[in-house]
Amino acid sequence: MEKLLNELSTECCPAYNLDSDIEIDVQVPENLKRNLSLGLPNVAESDLLRHFTNLSRKNYALSTTFYPLGSCTMKYNPLVNERIAKFDNFTKLHPYQDSKTIQGVLEIMYNLEKDLCEISGMDCFSLQQAAGAHGEFASLLIIAKYFKSIKQKRTKIIVPDSAHGTNPASAAFAGFDIVPLKSESDGSIVPEKLKEILTPETAAIMLTVPNTLGTFEKNILEISKIIHKNGSLLYYDGANLNAVMGMVRPGDMGFDIMHINLHKTFSTPHGGGGPGSGPVGVKAFLEPFLPVPKIESKGNEFILNYEKPESIGKLKAFVGNFPVILKAYVYIKSLGAKGLKNVSEQAVLNANYMLARLKDKIDVPAGCRCMHEFVLAPKALFKNAVRTLDVAKRLLDCGYYAPTVYFPLIVEEAIMIEPTETESKETLDTFVDALIKIILEEASLEPQKLKDAPISTAVGRLNEVEAARNPILKWK
Amino acid sequence: MNYTSQNQKDRKEMIEAIGVNDVSELFDVIPKSLRAKDLNIAGGKTEQELLNCFSDIASKNKVLTSFRGAGVYDHFIPSLVSEVIGRSEFWTAYTPYQAEASQGTLQTIFEYQSLICALTGLDTSNASLYDGATAVTEATLLALRVSRKNKILISSALHPEYIQVLKTYLENSKVKLVFLDVSRDGAVKKESLDMNFDENTAAVIIQSPNYFGVIEDMQALSVITKKKNSLFVAVVNPLSLGVFKAPGEYDADIAVGEGQVLGSSMSMGGATFGFMAVKKALEWKMPGRIIGQTVDKRGNRGFVLTLQSREQHIRREKATSNICTNASLNALAGCVFLSGWGNCGFKKLAEINISKARYAYNKIKSLKGFKSKFGGDEVFFNEFVIETQKDVDRINKVLLENDILGPLDLSAYHRTLVSLGLPETQENFKKCLLFCVTEQRNKCEIDKLVEILSKI
Amino acid sequence: MNIPEDLKYTKTHEWVKIDGNKAKVGITDFAQHEITDIVHIEFPEIGKQVKKEQPVVVIESVKSAFDIYAPLSGKIININNDILESPEVVNRSPYGEGYLFTVEFYDEKEIESLLSADDYKKLI
Repeated sequence: MEKLLNELSTECCPAYNLDSDIEIDVQVPENLKRNLSLGLPNVAESDLLRHFTNLSRKNYALSTTFYPLGSCTMKYNPLVNERIAKFDNFTKLHPYQDSKTIQGVLEIMYNLEKDLCEISGMDCFSLQQAAGAHGEFASLLIIAKYFKSIKQKRTKIIVPDSAHGTNPASAAFAGFDIVPLKSESDGSIVPEKLKEILTPETAAIMLTVPNTLGTFEKNILEISKIIHKNGSLLYYDGANLNAVMGMVRPGDMGFDIMHINLHKTFSTPHGGGGPGSGPVGVKAFLEPFLPVPKIESKGNEFILNYEKPESIGKLKAFVGNFPVILKAYVYIKSLGAKGLKNVSEQAVLNANYMLARLKDKIDVPAGCRCMHEFVLAPKALFKNAVRTLDVAKRLLDCGYYAPTVYFPLIVEEAIMIEPTETESKETLDTFVDALIKIILEEASLEPQKLKDAPISTAVGRLNEVEAARNPILKWK
Repeated sequence: MNYTSQNQKDRKEMIEAIGVNDVSELFDVIPKSLRAKDLNIAGGKTEQELLNCFSDIASKNKVLTSFRGAGVYDHFIPSLVSEVIGRSEFWTAYTPYQAEASQGTLQTIFEYQSLICALTGLDTSNASLYDGATAVTEATLLALRVSRKNKILISSALHPEYIQVLKTYLENSKVKLVFLDVSRDGAVKKESLDMNFDENTAAVIIQSPNYFGVIEDMQALSVITKKKNSLFVAVVNPLSLGVFKAPGEYDADIAVGEGQVLGSSMSMGGATFGFMAVKKALEWKMPGRIIGQTVDKRGNRGFVLTLQSREQHIRREKATSNICTNASLNALAGCVFLSGWGNCGFKKLAEINISKARYAYNKIKSLKGFKSKFGGDEVFFNEFVIETQKDVDRINKVLLENDILGPLDLSAYHRTLVSLGLPETQENFKKCLLFCVTEQRNKCEIDKLVEILSKI
Repeated sequence: MNIPEDLKYTKTHEWVKIDGNKAKVGITDFAQHEITDIVHIEFPEIGKQVKKEQPVVVIESVKSAFDIYAPLSGKIININNDILESPEVVNRSPYGEGYLFTVEFYDEKEIESLLSADDYKKLI
């Protein structure tokens, strides 16, 4: 058990210390002065280094383990991206520097927008949003503003029940009412059912293509027609873009607006929960509503344009998560058009290979083909009160991070697997072997082994009920 | 480059196992009419080519000696911070959904929450938000949610980009934002606060140090707010809390702010992180992830994501926020940054910032053609406003020629505020400069700045 | 499964105990079992006017949240504050100490639409 920082605290010399070449002379009026003890730990640098290094070793990470987390696109994060992002001429820049002194930054952002347009078939992008959900939210504000500008009152957003939780949450956050749409067992949408719930108040439908069950929306052209005929807009959740780069473009499918997760498809690391980046792409008619500032090219120079009267405004301070934007751009330059298409081919090949090995043994609600990910429904195989959660924990003992479990919500006891393109056949094979053994053998013959798992991790199965009933959320 | 790891033989075996003739068959489900043409994207560079290419692009940026802040600050980052956040076990991990295999991330966030609570003097911190601006917005939404009222009183000396973000988020709501006047001394007018309350007032939002660097009398403002039964939201610079009152000391209900000053590089203002701490009564209403301590089957201490039913992956449209990915790695930097000073060291860090800024302030305001905008009695942290008779554009041009990022010209500030709907009666900031001095500037650099200014 | 004979029920798994113009409301044994370990409960404020079938309480487990609906239209006159600090009581004693709230109802006719213990047994 690794101690907590406050338990490591002693009377030693703390790790950091600064001196000043200007006399320290501070007079603070009593009414403004802090009287409360700071309560910060006192730990030497050597001990801190050990503490954090030891903690890091309690993590499964992409650099140590296969991470087949469905919907999260945990692909290899190239090291050259990280190295370039550490250049002083990128990290030591102030956002309010004269644009003449940040031409490199603006060039990268401008060109990334162009490349994302080419990849997605959209006309314009904004890179300001800090994450996928942030991109969704910005998009919904754009949709709202658009309808306001053409003086239509549209208050409803259709969200399929297979969608990520962020979709309905973002739409509600933007002030819309959510209309859920029941999808089929493979996650697809039946055009007739869609028609039934469309009204003159429908602003848009949010679709993930391929959907969260890993199937391509085969009726997409018809859906697009139906939606547009109703005067509504088609929104593309780009969480699964890794399946279709260079194959098909959301813009060509009829989508009007979309977001991309740079921290998924474009290989920027997830950092244990961010920072991410969620660029928003739109067709030309929605361009006036994009957030400010807009990066423009004027003569030989790039500038930041804040004068966009119809813009929705700003989604965060300054220009966006620049290091993430930069890493994504380096990635695109490392691959080029051919490399990007190869990514999607390989991602889909890897997923289908795993599926081919699993489909005859474990139920697959969406059928025997998939795009970049697939969902297993092992419920029928479970006896002895074994559940998907137990399978997930047992996989940790086998040295793998667990796939996404219990999502999408429409599949009971779901196991959602996304291998990505950067895993070798050998890794896929050994993982599939382990999964088959756990579900088909151990679950029946040694259920206790699953219930007791994990045993090889830093801690055993944790009591989440107690954590929520009697929350301890900081040092005592 | 090619980051896939399949060879021809593997590919062939896999295609055969699937039962197709080639990979393209796997995409047959996509209608032919939709198939993309070859993309027009240059690339395919090797690592060496990439390094050269991006060195060239980077050289089009200029690193300057910074006397500019306004929300993003040039602060010292200890080596340990880069070492820890550079550990691939941290930066290549995902959100810690599988707790047992994510104890590193979970314990560090728990430590981070503890440190934020210690600094702010409040009970509960979340795992981080995108940045300071969105943290202010989330705090506002939280206050609206718990109070079920719809009016917000907000300091007009809040960072203008924070105001902009808040207005963007509230665009489709019925919430009424009322801006509090700033008085001649650069702080919020207490009478303005008193005047604007009504029974619909959900919360009062005050930034300290405010946009001009001025420390507000938070205690007094909070007392007025509490008398009117509203929530008090403090927007604070965490470094300033080494010396100035903690939000918990003046009974703030929510404290939020920008975490960049705690170990994140400036990097154009992002990625950074926003922090939020609240009183215990508000913890189930808080947005974002929260880590809790618990035990495993053997009774060992461990950490898990908790109070999750607030979040979008469970509550969908009824969630307290849509936030999912946040700014975990920057919060980790914040954790490592805060863990190595001790109480005295952290206080001293704040004092160095104050002393250096005060040194520069005294020198600059005594130059001919320069004077303090707020009269000279204001208490400030890092930043101060100077009014000048000189040509502002020329000042920054000459400084730039000397590789110095000069003060922020506030002449556009007034226009920004009016465009955001603030009343015209605001102070005029024409010919005003917002200077920033952190512990990173040494005496020599400050003296050089002063000398250049004196010659303009 | 425990389904007391003397209570009325709803399709959404609330039980109702009528006493004059007041009704005490909780969730059924079946419901608490399905929800699993309850970790948090959110109540409306006392005095709130509610309509039949309107969501009024949220009950949360570690990984889910469930809306609890008003079985009758009326005014919330009492909530069970004791279970806020120890929500596990609802799991332990759904019909007793773990009740949720009391509503003063307006329309006696609405009672007719509630289920008997037998009807509810058939439902689950």
